[in-house]
Amino acid sequence: MRQSLLKAFDILYLACIWSAGIAIFFMSIIIPVGVFARYVLGFGAQWPEPIAILLMVVFTFLGAAAAYRAGAHISVAMLTDRLSASSQKVCLYMVDLSMLVICLFGVVYGSKLCLGTMGQNLAELPWLPVGLTYAPLPLGAFLTLLFVVEKIIFGSQHLRSIVRFDHSLEESEVTTAGA
Amino acid sequence: MDMFILLGSFTLLMIVGMPVAYALGLASLVGAIWIDLPLDAVMIQVASGVNKFSLLAIPFFVLAGALMAEGGMSRRLVAFASVLVGFVRGGLSLVNILASTFFGGISGSAVADTASIGSVLIPEMERKGYPRDFSTALTVSGSIQAILIPPSHNMVIYSMAAGGSVSVAALFFAGLLPGLLLGGMLAAYCLYVARKKNFPTGEVIPLRQALKICVDAMWGLMTMVIILGGIMSGVFTANESASIAVIWAFFVTMFIYRDYKWRDLPKLVHRTVKTVTVVMILIGFAASFGYVMTLMQIPLKITTMFTTLTSNTYLILFYINIMLLILGTLMDMAPLILILTPILLPVVKTLGVDPVHFGIIIMVNLGIGLLTPPVGSVLFVGSAVGKLSIEALVKAMYPFFGVLLLLLALVTYWPALTLWLPRMMGV
Repeated sequence: MRQSLLKAFDILYLACIWSAGIAIFFMSIIIPVGVFARYVLGFGAQWPEPIAILLMVVFTFLGAAAAYRAGAHISVAMLTDRLSASSQKVCLYMVDLSMLVICLFGVVYGSKLCLGTMGQNLAELPWLPVGLTYAPLPLGAFLTLLFVVEKIIFGSQHLRSIVRFDHSLEESEVTTAGA
Repeated sequence: MDMFILLGSFTLLMIVGMPVAYALGLASLVGAIWIDLPLDAVMIQVASGVNKFSLLAIPFFVLAGALMAEGGMSRRLVAFASVLVGFVRGGLSLVNILASTFFGGISGSAVADTASIGSVLIPEMERKGYPRDFSTALTVSGSIQAILIPPSHNMVIYSMAAGGSVSVAALFFAGLLPGLLLGGMLAAYCLYVARKKNFPTGEVIPLRQALKICVDAMWGLMTMVIILGGIMSGVFTANESASIAVIWAFFVTMFIYRDYKWRDLPKLVHRTVKTVTVVMILIGFAASFGYVMTLMQIPLKITTMFTTLTSNTYLILFYINIMLLILGTLMDMAPLILILTPILLPVVKTLGVDPVHFGIIIMVNLGIGLLTPPVGSVLFVGSAVGKLSIEALVKAMYPFFGVLLLLLALVTYWPALTLWLPRMMGV
């Protein structure tokens, strides 16, 4: 049971990584297409900008959910590292509980935002409801929520081979974000 | 009391180890409930914080840098720098600095710079008789050029945190001279040490081989030309030049250099997703935090606090530098930029400090923070790559900290150093 559940979470994790990966791939192509249209074809295409932003929202919220499972988010462990084992446990419970609260907020209020703006359409792409462009937000929050629950039940999974397969020497020590 | 509730809850959540991005989000919720702000407003801020076209430059710059860094660029840049400066006494230390300058112009990441240049040069320098701790400390210090020399994704983050009122192009040009000055100052120090400790003189590379090395490196260096040339000429926006740089970096890595295997691409995607999304979600939650902070008038209160303390601009900038240096030792760069910019920018604006100038002050301060314990990601990578204990590395860093603090003083109190170039370029 435990193994099947962890495998299911692995699949979810990979789905998040690959959705984000595909999103950044298309983002990287769409913007140059806009430049090509402007300078070579002689017309300024309207669609690259909103589509690239939509892909960036997908990239951000689904990728951040995967990054949570991988333990890649920036956090300050300087103080908790110096605490006793029992105090560290209390801190971990507090973090897990706080994560549940913020993820639930994302799911509930993100869904409200999506539903509330479903009737509006993007000016550049009239066929695209605004609510749909916000959908990755509650979806990402829901996936993060699942990974938080997984962590509470099974413990942190950031050392699983599927999560660490991209690690090399220079990245094994630190989180590189922001530097 | 408002300030205590918002900043206090954020600090508490951070101290217990909650990821900074989510701690910002939850603190915003606590603050919103405290001031009776509907929670829908917080969610709108999170969504619109990420829903910005100008943010696209961040993943693009990181991806282009990662492609070049992992695709054999560092080895070629080291060879290219060896042709230019390797033949003097202490030449390898100058090669280290110059390679970092070029690498900074491509990747914008101090961590990637330390890992890539360090893994090539630290063993080589040791083989040639340079002390390991000196080589590692030099690599780590030189990597700060990557934060200052464009493209720097941290400058894009600062521009966002400043509410989009500061142009990314102006920041890019403002960082160029301080970045080059840092390289020059480190080079001067290395030449002094080389004479004092009798470091070896490098060999002159034969002309035919030198030409081959230069042509090989030019493919990668074109990335820098695309980014800066595109923005400078007005042909591309920062986003567009960043996305074209990704395409170019992919082309050079996979079809020209061919050091990187196609089967390794999933690893690169994996790594990029994890590295960039943690910054992007941080930006989203920082937007909501900034919004609640503004409604509570916290930036205004802090401005009043600073200006009642003293009206001397130099002194306030000194206090701000001390504060940024201390905070920089405790937290990573991106969250600090996002949290502190909305608080400190109104203070310095009141004093007549240009926001572009202040952006570079923040970069240098927080860049130094990346090299200092207890939380210094570049220091940790340097220690791992140089196979040196943190203590030994920090000890070897002392003279380099002197150079970096001198740069900080110059950047802070000589605004022309940062503002001259952007004004010349009209950005």
